Amino acid sequence: MKETIKNTTMADRLLFLFLILASIAGIFISRDALSQGSDVSIEIDGKPAYTLPLYTDRLLSIDGPYGPILIEIQGKRVRVKESHCPNQLCVREGWISKGVIVCLPNKLVIIVGSGKKDRQRGIDAITG
Amino acid sequence: MQLQDKRRIAILSAYALALHGFESLLPAPIPWLKLGLANIITLVALILYGFRTALVVTLIRVVLASIFIGAFLGPAFILSAGGGIASVAAMGLTIKLFKNLFGAVGISLIGALFHNMAQLSLAYFLFIHRLEAVLIISPFILLIGSLTGIVNGIISGILIKNLLKKDAEKIQNTI
Repeated sequence: MKETIKNTTMADRLLFLFLILASIAGIFISRDALSQGSDVSIEIDGKPAYTLPLYTDRLLSIDGPYGPILIEIQGKRVRVKESHCPNQLCVREGWISKGVIVCLPNKLVIIVGSGKKDRQRGIDAITG
Repeated sequence: MQLQDKRRIAILSAYALALHGFESLLPAPIPWLKLGLANIITLVALILYGFRTALVVTLIRVVLASIFIGAFLGPAFILSAGGGIASVAAMGLTIKLFKNLFGAVGISLIGALFHNMAQLSLAYFLFIHRLEAVLIISPFILLIGSLTGIVNGIISGILIKNLLKKDAEKIQNTI
């Protein structure tokens, strides 16, 4: 252990310290910037597909390239209940009450957000 | 290309491929946690045998692994190829520009950083299209990348030291 530390240069250590501090700071900054949302926006292939209120429990099924994806909203939280994508990252992410779930194989993004922009989109989704 | 170079590339690619395959079998306890074990081989190839060897080994690994896993030309392949090429390029440039400033650990960290940055930007431009979403996950990925990068760097450093020692012994024996 001592030897491995001795084998690193000063630049190595500074770089490591900088990266760790910068990413931890980034986590807090992005968490702060995140507003507590009241809407769930679901985007497929980069296009907004659904906007649903977070406070209404429901189960939604979406067709993806690997079969149906089950999205569950319950108790002001949302999760991907079931997906047939190979890596299952979206399912393992579990319940979220803010932030995003990204599923690359399905090209699916679930965002919990609020604000006028999302609300505008919600109306679009209903009329369309 | 010399015959010995070809043999070296073949062996290194086999090691990288094995590590890549092994890693894809491991369960991921945290979403987005990837060890990037194959980067150990890339780093060893880069430091001991130069940029070209490392680039070829990475390309062979990415293409063959995606064919074996069944993701060739899919989104995972594009991300994996982009990340691999960006990380080799960044590590090669670092060695060229700052010759003795960074050790194996520092170069590995730079490789991990550029790997993740390339993947995040590719994911943004090709698949996600939501800057907000990418910015939220970026710090987590960069943090995990720095931690795995340092582990890989330490392993690479030990590997390089032992390989050099073995080489020196071999030369002594032949003399």
